[in-house]
Amino acid sequence: MGITAVPMLLSLYLSFTNYDALSDFSAVEWIGLDNYREMFTADASFWHAVRVTITFALVAVPLKLAAALGVALLLNRAFRGVGLFRGLFYLPSLLGGSVALAIVWVNMFNRDGAFNSLLSVFGIEGAPWVNDPRWALETLMALAIWQFGAPMVIFLAGLKQIPVELYEAASVDGAGPWRQFRAVTLPMLSPVIFFNLVLETINGFQGFTSAFVLSNGTGGPVDSTLMYTLNLYIKGFTELRMGYASALAWVFLVAIALITVLLFSTGRFWVHYADGEDR
Amino acid sequence: MHRAPSSRAVEPTTRHHRTAFSGPGLRRRLLAALVTIPLALAAAACGDDGGDSAADPNKPVELSIFWWGAEGRAKLTEDALALYTKKHPNVTFKKTWQANQGYFDKLATLTAGGDAPDLFQIDDNYLTEYASRNVTLDLTSYKDGGKLDVSKFPESLVNYGIVDGKLAGVAFGENTQGLVFNKTLLDKNKLPAPTTGMTWADFITWAENVSKTAKVPGTQDPSADYKAFWVWLRQQGKDLYKDKALGFTEQDVAGWFELWKGARDRGATPTADVIHEGNVTDISKQLVVTGKAGTSWVWANQMPELKKNTKDELGVIAYPGDPSAQWARASMYFSVFRGSDKKDIAVDVINFLSNDPEAAAVLGTDRGLPSNLDIRKSVSDSVSDPNMKVAITVQTELGAKFGASPQVPLKGHSKVRAELIKAAEEVQFGRQTPAEAAKAYFAVAQAAIGQA
Repeated sequence: MGITAVPMLLSLYLSFTNYDALSDFSAVEWIGLDNYREMFTADASFWHAVRVTITFALVAVPLKLAAALGVALLLNRAFRGVGLFRGLFYLPSLLGGSVALAIVWVNMFNRDGAFNSLLSVFGIEGAPWVNDPRWALETLMALAIWQFGAPMVIFLAGLKQIPVELYEAASVDGAGPWRQFRAVTLPMLSPVIFFNLVLETINGFQGFTSAFVLSNGTGGPVDSTLMYTLNLYIKGFTELRMGYASALAWVFLVAIALITVLLFSTGRFWVHYADGEDR
Repeated sequence: MHRAPSSRAVEPTTRHHRTAFSGPGLRRRLLAALVTIPLALAAAACGDDGGDSAADPNKPVELSIFWWGAEGRAKLTEDALALYTKKHPNVTFKKTWQANQGYFDKLATLTAGGDAPDLFQIDDNYLTEYASRNVTLDLTSYKDGGKLDVSKFPESLVNYGIVDGKLAGVAFGENTQGLVFNKTLLDKNKLPAPTTGMTWADFITWAENVSKTAKVPGTQDPSADYKAFWVWLRQQGKDLYKDKALGFTEQDVAGWFELWKGARDRGATPTADVIHEGNVTDISKQLVVTGKAGTSWVWANQMPELKKNTKDELGVIAYPGDPSAQWARASMYFSVFRGSDKKDIAVDVINFLSNDPEAAAVLGTDRGLPSNLDIRKSVSDSVSDPNMKVAITVQTELGAKFGASPQVPLKGHSKVRAELIKAAEEVQFGRQTPAEAAKAYFAVAQAAIGQA
């Protein structure tokens, strides 16, 4: 507890100071709410980073979950080589936040990268994706969506838990595959969907590595990939404003907590826990 | 009834099915996970201002030293430090080095923890940041007391290590701006090489001609490059900084952006996305070596490193315009941590590395032309690497035309640099006019250096 609590409280304290990492601790001045005031009223990069991060999460998280669920449904049946496919689809998320993967991604989505070569086969002229402020963030979204393996495995585990009898009963009642999916699979899976949603949302907001690698730690081109955490890093390490960066971190923590609480409150309307409360 | 979730094949089914993640337990677990979300920023401790343990001169001492660079530099530095240990067997070194990327993050973190290395490499981008926050030891008294000999250094190079009247770093190598061009490309297309002293307008015309003939954009667009902007400013009697303020006006920035917008419109430079690729500091991505432009704007001492990344022959000249606007810049410095308890020895090591002929011969020109002029002469006489030879010749030629050094960049310089890239790219991608970008940049640059 102390390992987490002490640094957290210290960072909370620092967020009310002008701490710059280099000066003696004795030079740290209490500046009250100035950091927070600047953030909300004067710092354009803060609001820009908020916009970029929300856009990223709003697009990448639902699509990633949809991909994970879709593939999990396909792989939730017995056929030859299903284990191999599960492994293959899980692989990208094993590589997780790896720097190597981000570097490969950057090279694939260059002007003369593999993706554009593929497009040119179909006679389409690609864009310089990662180096174009109109597309750089979308490239990062694609990378995040591609790494759907972790939620997919969890979906698979959830699907395995749904009793066959329910499908049998549904099919006796004349329900087709689509109806079965909506009336049996989704409600039975809703706790797992909820779990994945909360986790991936938090993950989505915290995206850092790929944006850092793609932009060499600048959030470029022209701030198009300035994720919240990357902005926090720049303020802390490039500009050496650790106090301000601490304030950013705390606002971030509170925002994620609020979003999670919000998700929990909507959960009441669509998450079905089989054992009890909404019988 | 509680039962572990398991395969449905062996379980009798009941009306109440549990999934692996059901129940209020999930909520508790999620909340617990939330509470423990780690915060990245926590390190903080006091810098230790203890005195020097100068009691016994033969007491075993381990000195920590930290630098950035590649493997080649590590080898040279380790060899040179071994020479010091040979002469002073009681002194050993704890050597840490890494690539430039992330170096200053680590240095800041170590410093924040009160655990900065006794001796560390630093550049003019950060010297003021560290010196003005009292991290670096003021070396003036060592210089005056003769323990640190900089008498053979060019005066401008010594002065380029002075921040607020304190000698914060010892210049460890001299370099200057260099415009590197692809000689092979030009020869193949029977195009003339650019020359030192050609005007900016002539240079852009030259680049336009290269684009047309060689079908490769003639020059990287340097509008995001602070050092090119800086030289251009100095040629007009301005500067990047003047005392505690910016040494230029909003109109200057707009003029600079206009100049290069014109060049882009004429096809002298690559498209915005390619320019962006070349705007990183990474040597291997410079457009002149990736073949995406005829020239790149670099520091002259980066020539050998650039050469390693291409088969083509490269040439180097001064930036366009009057070359006297360029100056002897310290390619990097060595500084001593003010909180170190081995200050005297640390200073002695710097003195040794800078002035000992044997150590200097080992180090060569890896960190730029040696600051000590005698050593510089002996090193350039004996150097065998042809690229190094060219770099030395060019720098020596340019050196004769140098003007006075500007002041060391102000605190906030790294932001001034980063914001210039952003503003220039806004123009390059056509999202802002030069005037709009200049206005925004000027305001943010002023704020960065704390100018009212």
